[in-house]
Amino acid sequence: MIEFRDTLLTPIWDKVRRGERLSLEDGIALYATGDLIGLGKMAHFVQQQKSGDAVYYVLNQKIEHTNICVLSCKFCDFAVKKGDADAYEMTTEDILSKLTPDIHEVHITGGMPADWPWERYLDIVRSIHERFPAIDVKAFTAVEIDFFHKKFKLSIEEVLRQLKAAGLRTMPGGGAEVFSERVRKLLFNQKIGAKAWFEVHTTAHRLGIPTNSTMLYGHIETIEERLIHMMKLREAQDETGGFLTFIPLAFQPGDTGIKPRDRFTSAIDDLKTIAVSRLMLDNFPHIKAYWVMLTEEVASVALHFGADDMDGTVGEERIAHDAGAVSPMKLAKDQIIKIIRDAGKIPVERDVYYNPLRISADNVIGKIPYLNSVPFYHAFEKRQFRILPVAPRRMGLLQEKDQIIAGPFSLMDYFRHEERLDLLEWCIATRDQVKSVMLFSNHGWADLDGKKIGITDDTATSVRLLQVLLEKKYQVKATFERLHAGINDLGGFDAVLLIGDEALRRNKFGLEGFEIIYDLAEEWYEWKKMPFVFAVWAASKSLTKETQMELNVAIERSLADAEGSYGAIGALHGRRIGLTQADVEAYLEGFNYRLGERERDAMKEFRKLVFELENVSIH
Amino acid sequence: MQLSTITDKVRNAERLTREEGLFLLTHGELLDLGECANIVRYRKNPDPRITFVVDTNPNYTNICNIDCIFCAFYRHSGEEGAYTHTVDEMIRKFKESAASGVTTILLQGGVNPALPFEYYVEMVERTVKEVPGVTPHFWSTSEIIGMAAVSGLTVPKVLQRLWDAGQRTIPGGGAEILSDRVKKKISHLKGSSADWLSVMREAHAIGFTSTATMMYGHLETNDDIVEHLESIRALQDEHHGFTAFVPWSFKPGNTPLEKIIPHYATPMRYLQMIAISRIYLDNFDHVQASWFSEGKKTGQIAVHFGADDFGGTLFEENVHAAANFVNKSNTEEVINLIRDAGFTPAQRSTTYEILRICEEPQAA
Repeated sequence: MIEFRDTLLTPIWDKVRRGERLSLEDGIALYATGDLIGLGKMAHFVQQQKSGDAVYYVLNQKIEHTNICVLSCKFCDFAVKKGDADAYEMTTEDILSKLTPDIHEVHITGGMPADWPWERYLDIVRSIHERFPAIDVKAFTAVEIDFFHKKFKLSIEEVLRQLKAAGLRTMPGGGAEVFSERVRKLLFNQKIGAKAWFEVHTTAHRLGIPTNSTMLYGHIETIEERLIHMMKLREAQDETGGFLTFIPLAFQPGDTGIKPRDRFTSAIDDLKTIAVSRLMLDNFPHIKAYWVMLTEEVASVALHFGADDMDGTVGEERIAHDAGAVSPMKLAKDQIIKIIRDAGKIPVERDVYYNPLRISADNVIGKIPYLNSVPFYHAFEKRQFRILPVAPRRMGLLQEKDQIIAGPFSLMDYFRHEERLDLLEWCIATRDQVKSVMLFSNHGWADLDGKKIGITDDTATSVRLLQVLLEKKYQVKATFERLHAGINDLGGFDAVLLIGDEALRRNKFGLEGFEIIYDLAEEWYEWKKMPFVFAVWAASKSLTKETQMELNVAIERSLADAEGSYGAIGALHGRRIGLTQADVEAYLEGFNYRLGERERDAMKEFRKLVFELENVSIH
Repeated sequence: MQLSTITDKVRNAERLTREEGLFLLTHGELLDLGECANIVRYRKNPDPRITFVVDTNPNYTNICNIDCIFCAFYRHSGEEGAYTHTVDEMIRKFKESAASGVTTILLQGGVNPALPFEYYVEMVERTVKEVPGVTPHFWSTSEIIGMAAVSGLTVPKVLQRLWDAGQRTIPGGGAEILSDRVKKKISHLKGSSADWLSVMREAHAIGFTSTATMMYGHLETNDDIVEHLESIRALQDEHHGFTAFVPWSFKPGNTPLEKIIPHYATPMRYLQMIAISRIYLDNFDHVQASWFSEGKKTGQIAVHFGADDFGGTLFEENVHAAANFVNKSNTEEVINLIRDAGFTPAQRSTTYEILRICEEPQAA
């Protein structure tokens, strides 16, 4: 546990451990502390809860389509006026020529010229999407979206709808600066304020476009203004859940028109800002150490102060570089991997939604990132193992590529790869209800025949259980479609299958637009009078018996410790899902984690049924 | 073995074994290392103070016959860019430095067999006599062994002559990694680990103080790191002659090793080195964060991981510059860096006596 040098941190740590939200006063105390290690350890604790040992990066390319801008912001030394000697404008073809099929994300932002037609922007997004379908388009800050809205006389929602239809996947978080009218009037008076920025982002979230968020710090803002900035983001995230990551950006003193301070932010301020944001933004999945501005030095250390995201390979970055950022223009992929590995973390190449595509580390153990899996890891002593939280279906995909040595694999994935895996002694099995594998429907079972069901992207087994129930228990057939971008846009579906904590939350609070809620384990139990096994622990056959033994012992110890601590687990994890401590205790009591005879029989029964189905592709 | 037993030993001020040191370095989370390092740091130096020394690091020659593959500084005799300064030239430089406030002159160079032993003795004598405000912090162990070779004297005799000339401290460079497995690969002509340790032992026995260094980030393993720490901890038990421990990372730029080790060691690794050395070296008073070799931001972080000294202001430094690693700074900036890191800066002498404490500037 933590031995604080600054005892003022102790009550804050108690709140963190109870999963309580931190206040403005807490944030001020965190920033004021001289106990950098104590602060870092609290943030690292939260980081480990959220993302285990994973640190994400993306193979990406930055495109700045033009540097001509109608605004003249004091802090920017990137923008020029049309006709200036160094003004440039890229055509769609210029942009396409910068892209290669090996990247996964293109990040497009730029100046705002007076004379580009709306169609030109749509054409950029559409052409990239068509020519490189594997590259996800992340484009346009809220400032640019607001500019399109005003210039082309389209509502913000319409601008975003059209961009989404053209292929836009996510949006960057720039243009937020600091949400303070005082600072905006002094430094950024030509930019949109907090209200417009949030309107753009929350509208995007409702349309199923996740976004990033930023904060520019280290100029004239106060600590309190930084914290209020974070708290405003936290509030919006409570409403939409659409923010992927928070990116603190250190101000770069350089040739900009403002000279609020003549020095770079200190490494200590940088690390504190990362750590404080990890602690304040309890509902944000990721915190990014943006190495281009933070410097490689600080970014690597930040991986122990709450940051789990290293941005990417970044082809070109003119804006920060023109103002004198000291990082090299391009940090090669293998250098990113080396930094992450040296930090003792798992380098995870990700897609635009943070799904893991490839990992570059040994001894990685999968973790299903749901409340019901917490007991396995509650008191797990890692030693040589590294833990990667990954949704069940994705864990199976990584196992297929031999990137994970062990984990609680989704039952279907275990069936598929049985010959390569040794079964361990643990499982995730229900007794009767599950409460977290739920079908939200507008129709009774019998009426789902021929209907379209949205399926969470995360499931490998629950979707087959649903199919078995439909076809074998109720003799109906429905069509399935994956929900790749979350559940904010569910128009057109007759029912939706959700799993994990999202299902648990919606089971309690309901899912708008759907009236009936079915618990799939309960349906199975009423039918078969058997438990249902959603996942089984298994280890790659390449693992030595000795390592398997170590793993079994570590899990056994953790489970034993957890079983006496469901209350503490409930305190730490309940709030983010909207459950009381008692809810969590009851939920966890409903699981059986030891693979016994009844569970093995249930696995056999399900295997028989599922392999009788015609395989329906749902990808 | 369990981490908690090791951290408990640190809390109780018990000495760690080699196995425990290795386990902690291998399995400890970075911030757990930091926490343990601070326990030791604040036990030994309770004030929230970071010291620095106003120094300069000139070189008298870059001619060297050792050919270490990690070095971008040396030249062979007659090669383009090779130089050797006279004692007069160096004394002139030292006087200029003293006039600008320098109190420590860290003088090192290549191992140049053309220089007679008298050159070195004269350099010390004249510095003591003609530049009284500065402490001569001269000659690495390799140079001292070189002096023995050109003079035909034993190392203890060489050291005694330098002592008689007025020298009291020697720098701790050239230790690299005190593991013969690694040393053979990176500096096969520079002598074994035993050579570095025996020169230091002789020096400490006479009464010299010195620093101890470690250069990591090349071919060494965690085991080699702990072996290095173990060797100097054992020597420190004999005479308590080391003032401080100074780890720095290998800079591959422009060296033959660059082909094998293309990447610089990360700041993470540096913080691990600072912390593990602070924890393991229970008989050392100080651990130095070398901001000039690791970067200013890393230096600022390192003082939260057990280091209590920020090294020198280094008005002149050529070895790292030759590897394209340049970090210009001066006294004012060092003071600001320490303050921004959350500590009170204090200027010290070569031997770590406090000369002045830089209190917070009064608000205008």
